[in-house]
Amino acid sequence: MNLERQLRRALERKDPAAGFDNRVMSRVATAAGAQPVTRARRNSVVFLPGAASLILAFGAAYYVQQQRSADVASAHTEQAAHDVVLALQIASEKIAAAQAKVEEITRYEPAKNN
Amino acid sequence: MLRATALPPVTAPSHDELLADARRGSETAFAALVREHQAMVFGLAYHFLHSHAHAEELAQDVFLALHQNLARVESARHLVFWLRRVTSNRCIDSIRSAQRRRELPIDDAHEPSAAANFPDPMLGDLLRNLVAELAPDARIVVTLRFQEDLDMSEIAAITEMPVNTVKSHLRRSMDALRRKLQDKGHTYES
Repeated sequence: MNLERQLRRALERKDPAAGFDNRVMSRVATAAGAQPVTRARRNSVVFLPGAASLILAFGAAYYVQQQRSADVASAHTEQAAHDVVLALQIASEKIAAAQAKVEEITRYEPAKNN
Repeated sequence: MLRATALPPVTAPSHDELLADARRGSETAFAALVREHQAMVFGLAYHFLHSHAHAEELAQDVFLALHQNLARVESARHLVFWLRRVTSNRCIDSIRSAQRRRELPIDDAHEPSAAANFPDPMLGDLLRNLVAELAPDARIVVTLRFQEDLDMSEIAAITEMPVNTVKSHLRRSMDALRRKLQDKGHTYES
């Protein structure tokens, strides 16, 4: 017997079950329909959350910055008002001291009209 | 009386025309290509994997890959080479990954096979079983050699093995097959 001839017979080409072409075309159609969606989905899955995170991070940083600026401005205003009040108090005390001095001098000074 | 010769003969599109139409997006042409080559692709997968289910899945995957890579296929001749190479590579990858997972292909040797065309159905099944026991590289060499009737240089080009390696695989495989057949009471000439 010839082994090579027997192997050619045993390993001859073989058809798949009927409808194989339809099953392949069905998978091709599914893949063709799914591919752009998959790409778009992959892009959205990868990029959109990243972009959203960046926007949120920048937004939060901007908000904190603004709050800090507002707080600093508010603190500066309060400090200025406090300084003005202090200055007025000092000025008032100085005026009061000057007035008291003037009154004291005036009290012991003889009247020139007598 | 009308003569049959009055009508011009209907000629089927050539393989290159089918390929060109498929590349332009014709589903009908692609389906025709699938029908044209399904016995080659499924046969290679079946004789290698020894499982109808695995061979069907692998053959579908190969044609799906073909559809996605049609632009790279230059001619009908290149298409046959491409299908043989991709099928062979996927067969070997499939067996290796199954071995890594410790899953062997489902042996459905008891299913009705190509026995109808074989003078001795038992011997046909025995030969297919013995081929399925060969190591993956040797198995693909034997399958390409006897299913597709390819010479050593063609098998080397498809499998990307040196020609001497292909020769060595084939010689050792034939020796092993003869030895196993002799053990089972069959005698073959060298």
